[in-house]
Amino acid sequence: MIHYLRIWLASVRYSIVRSMMFRGDFIMWALVELFWMAVSIASIAVIYQHTDAVAGWTKYEMLLLLGTSMLIQRLLMGLFWSNLFEMGRNVRSGHFDFFLAQPGNMLFMVSTRKIDLDSLLNVFVALAVVVYAVGKLQLEPSLADMLTYALFVGCGVGISFAMLLLIASVSFWTIGSQGVEGGYFTLYEFSRLPRAAFSGVAKVAFVWVLPTVVVTNAPAHTLIHGLSGTYTAWLLAATTAWLAIAIGVFQRGLKRYSSASS
Amino acid sequence: MRLLFVKYRHVFNVGLQSNIVYRWNFALRAAFSLLHLVFVFVLWGAAFQGHDTIGGFSLDQTLTYFICLLVLQFFIGAFNEDYQISEEIRNGLINQFLLKPINYFLYRFVIFVSARLVSGLLALLPLVIALPLLGDYLTFPDEPWRIAVGIPAAFMSAMIQFTIAYIFGMLTFWFLEIQSFVILSMAIESLLGGQVFPLDLLPDTLFRISQFLPYYYQMYFPAAIFTGRIDQAVAVQGLAIQAFWVVVLLGVANLLWQRGLKRHTAVGG
Repeated sequence: MIHYLRIWLASVRYSIVRSMMFRGDFIMWALVELFWMAVSIASIAVIYQHTDAVAGWTKYEMLLLLGTSMLIQRLLMGLFWSNLFEMGRNVRSGHFDFFLAQPGNMLFMVSTRKIDLDSLLNVFVALAVVVYAVGKLQLEPSLADMLTYALFVGCGVGISFAMLLLIASVSFWTIGSQGVEGGYFTLYEFSRLPRAAFSGVAKVAFVWVLPTVVVTNAPAHTLIHGLSGTYTAWLLAATTAWLAIAIGVFQRGLKRYSSASS
Repeated sequence: MRLLFVKYRHVFNVGLQSNIVYRWNFALRAAFSLLHLVFVFVLWGAAFQGHDTIGGFSLDQTLTYFICLLVLQFFIGAFNEDYQISEEIRNGLINQFLLKPINYFLYRFVIFVSARLVSGLLALLPLVIALPLLGDYLTFPDEPWRIAVGIPAAFMSAMIQFTIAYIFGMLTFWFLEIQSFVILSMAIESLLGGQVFPLDLLPDTLFRISQFLPYYYQMYFPAAIFTGRIDQAVAVQGLAIQAFWVVVLLGVANLLWQRGLKRHTAVGG
C-alpha cells in the first residue's frame, strides 16, 4: 500500500513540475474548465428567471445539485481522465507496452500516471458553489451528513471512473473510441437533473440502469434532507457492481492485447 | 470562371469521398446528440411544469427550437475544421498550397461544405427514426418568408462558423497548441449562440447586446427564424448585421493568413 502511495506521489510531483513548465497552458486549461462551469450556472440562472422550481427543486437546490455534479466531474478529470483517455490511444499505437513492463498493478499504473492540476484547481470552485448553495438554503448539515456527502461523492467518482474505464477498454477490441469518449460528456449531462424530473423509460434508463442521475442526486439529497437508507444501499451496491464490471472487462481486454509495433 | 468551378468541384468530390469514410463517426455523433435531446426534453419538460409558456413560448415551441438547432448543427456547424487546419499548418502540409494556384480558404471552405452535407444527411437518419416520438412536439410556423430569409441566414451562419474555426486554425502560426482556445471559445459559443437556452430568455438588455455579437448569428438566428421566435423586421435587420460579421470575419481571416505566412517556416521536402 505504501509502495503504491509512493508511486502515486511521484506521479503527482511529476505532473506538478510539468504543469509549472507550461504555465500558459495550465492557466488556459484552468480557464476553459471555469468557463464551462460558468455556462452551466448561467443556464440555471436563466431558467429560474422564468420559473420557481424544476421538478420541485428550487434555484439553490439546483445549484447544489450542479455544484455536486461539477465536483465529481472535476475530481474524475483531475485524477483519471487523461490517463484513461490516453489508454485508448496507447493500445492502438502499441505504446501500451510501456505499462506492461512496469512493476505494479496494471490498472493502477494505467490510471494514475498523471494528474491534471487545472481540473483539480477547479474542484475548489465546485466546492465553493456547493458551500454557497448550502449557505443560501440555510442548511446546517451535521458532521455525519458531511461525511456521508463526501462518501457519496467518492462513490460518484468511482462509478464515473468505472464507466470511463469501460469506454476506454473498448480500444482493446476496436480501432478507436474517440466518439464514445465524447458520449461520456453527453451522458454526464443528466447528472445535473433532479431525479424527480424523470419518468417512464427515461427513469429506468438514466436513473437506475445508468446511474448518472443518482450519483449527484444522492449526495445533494443528503445535505438537503438528511441520510436516505435507499440511496446509501443503492449507491454502495452500484459502485461495487460498476467497478467490478469495468475491472473485469479491462482484465479481459488486457489478455487480448497484442502490441501494435513491429 | 468555368475552370475555377471545375477545380473546386474536384475538391468538393474529394471532400465528399473522404468524409463518407468517417460515416460511422458522424452516425455515432448523431446518435449521442439524440441522447442530448432526451436531456433537453427532461429539463424543459420539468421547467414547464405548471407553466403554459416560458418567455412567451410553449413547451412544444421550445422543444422544436432545440430539435431545429440540432439539425442545423449537423448541416452548418464547424466540427473540427480548426484542428484540421491547425494540423496542416503544423505538419507543413500547407506548403503545397503555397506552390499551387489554389486559394487555401476557398479550398477548406469547399471541404467544409462537403463534410456538412455528409454529416447533415447522416444526422437526419436517427431523427427520422425518432420522428414518431418527436413528431408530436414539432410545431413550425407556416409563413413562407421564413424559408426565404432563413436559408440565406443559415448559409451566412455556416460562413461565420467556418471562418471562426479557420481563424482559430490560423492561430497555429503563433501558438503551438490551439486546443484550449478552441474549447474556451466553444463554451462562449454554446452560451451566446443559444445552444444552452433560447437567447430570448435572457434579460432584455443582455438579449439586445447579444444581437450585436457574432455568436447570435452562429446558430440562434437561423433557428429563431425557422421556429418563429423572431418577426420579419428583426429577421431582416439581423440579416444585415450578419452580413456585416461575415465581412469582418473574412477580413480577419485574410489578415491572419497574410501575417501568418510571413512567420511561417516551411520545413521538410
